[in-house]
Amino acid sequence: MFFDAAEQFINGVMYGSLYALIGGGFTILFGVMRRFNMAYGATIMAAAYVSLVPLYLFRAPFWLMVLTGLAAAILIGLLVEFCCFRFIKKGHELAPLVATIGMLIAITEAIVHATDAAGLKYPSPFGDESLELGRFLVRPDYLAVLVAGVLCFTLIFLLLYKTRLGRAMRAVAERPEAAQILGVSVQRVNVLTFVLTSALAGVIGFFAAVSVGSARPDIAAFVTGKGLVVMVLGGLGSLPGAIVGGLVLGVLEFQATWFLGASYRDILAFLILFVILVFRPRGLLGARTT
Amino acid sequence: MDYYIAIASIIGIHTLLGLSVYLVAISGQMSFGQQGFFAIGAYLAGMSTALWGIGLLPALALGAVVAGLMGFVVGFPALRVRGLYLAIATYGFGEIVRLAFLNVRYTRTIGDRVVGPNGAEGFRHVRYVFDRGFTGAQYLAIILAALVVVIVLYYLLERSKLGAKVRAVEEDETAAATVGINVTQVKVLAFAAAGAVAGLGGGLFVHYSTYIDHDMVALPLAIAAVTYPLLGGLGSFVGPILGAVVLVGLTEGLRALHELREFVYGALIILTMIFRPRGIVDEALVLRVKTWFQPRAARPSGPGAVGVPAEPMVRP
Repeated sequence: MFFDAAEQFINGVMYGSLYALIGGGFTILFGVMRRFNMAYGATIMAAAYVSLVPLYLFRAPFWLMVLTGLAAAILIGLLVEFCCFRFIKKGHELAPLVATIGMLIAITEAIVHATDAAGLKYPSPFGDESLELGRFLVRPDYLAVLVAGVLCFTLIFLLLYKTRLGRAMRAVAERPEAAQILGVSVQRVNVLTFVLTSALAGVIGFFAAVSVGSARPDIAAFVTGKGLVVMVLGGLGSLPGAIVGGLVLGVLEFQATWFLGASYRDILAFLILFVILVFRPRGLLGARTT
Repeated sequence: MDYYIAIASIIGIHTLLGLSVYLVAISGQMSFGQQGFFAIGAYLAGMSTALWGIGLLPALALGAVVAGLMGFVVGFPALRVRGLYLAIATYGFGEIVRLAFLNVRYTRTIGDRVVGPNGAEGFRHVRYVFDRGFTGAQYLAIILAALVVVIVLYYLLERSKLGAKVRAVEEDETAAATVGINVTQVKVLAFAAAGAVAGLGGGLFVHYSTYIDHDMVALPLAIAAVTYPLLGGLGSFVGPILGAVVLVGLTEGLRALHELREFVYGALIILTMIFRPRGIVDEALVLRVKTWFQPRAARPSGPGAVGVPAEPMVRP
């Protein structure tokens, strides 16, 4: 009993780092631009599909698949920024939201047309054999997600807190007008934010498809749902919050699967979301300001 | 002809969903969860006719009333959050409803058919309309009648004092509260009424399609429901109607373009947002149209005067 709980806890933490990455992508974009990108899920889904191309052409190693997905995601992200954000006047928060819904529809359609809607098999490059860690059995792709999560967040934090670009991004997030006055090009920061979050989308696309076992159009809805929950769980715009929120969601889902069965797992996640929003609207680690 | 009747029926049902999001939106709240009320209305109205042998109209009314009560219940916790938080909280509510219906089994075998909500297999055989021999056109008339009733109520609301209160709350909650408007009451009422409208749409839908399952009330429906009023415009109830007609109409009308259809559809949404970020029927347009109908003497004049857009006005 205790052993099962502990094993599910470890699985939850590992899988939760995928949720943390998804939430991180949504959070960075929201934090810097105060806008919401509904096409982010579609970017992730499209990246997963494109990353299959080198595998099908020649048996490419997995890092080449990740890189291909990453490049595709960045291109799509730039397209989203150009079409749905750049030309929309200031002061209309909801307009980019709707515009990115248009983009979501277009990207999904492009993928469905290029492949067939049923999805493509996505072989795990990490093998199917469970690894033994002490007394626990661990799925190798989950372990890879954990490693990727730690790596990505380390890079992101280094970027945000040790580079000029990171400082500019934080300045724009804090107060865009003041940053502009001090000589930060808000436009440039916005574009680079899109590049950063889209690169993250490439990584997420790869691991999401590996963990599901196939590249499917409904990955877009899956990651959008999880991304929203994690973002709010941790506190809108808080990156540490997204990490904690992702891990909490992962652990809760795995415990609930074991406790209540798979069909009630998702209800629990959304119930928690609803309760947290109502009783602690700023999330687990959100700032006190409204 | 059947084809056009089918499209018109879908437009009618989706218009109700768009009007539901609109009503919440003009009280200053954004909901991604109206599909949850739609699902409640659909399942309840479907169970009423298919399992309990109740007539169509009481069944639709029951679905709408219960969805409205749920709206009332959701309206209170929703008071505590706003903006994007509220959008996500309501989305959470919609998903809870959807996942609940994924798990509900309440079936009875009638003849050789298993009728009732059956978990992941969905709710089949809501055959009331077909068993009674309604034609597609007759059922469309029922949908349109319901829609007209709702639209008349919206029209009356927007001309009433209550409507002005709702708009005041949207504009500035604190200011509204200082002039004595009960903000809580307005917001919760908006949620309850919007829930009932979405529930009515759900009841009409399940009797139209004879079938509903949890997948039909997931994120894509939420996105569609929000897109209608935001694209059509939040200036008047005409906005969500226009949004639903344009978007559902486009979905069908662009069929001739085959592969390009969804791209054109997506591109039109993006372009509309670039050129009209508050939607097609925005507040400025509503004001402008209103001045056409005022007697000349009563017209405020000069740019910047109340009710006059700052740019030169085009006379009809």
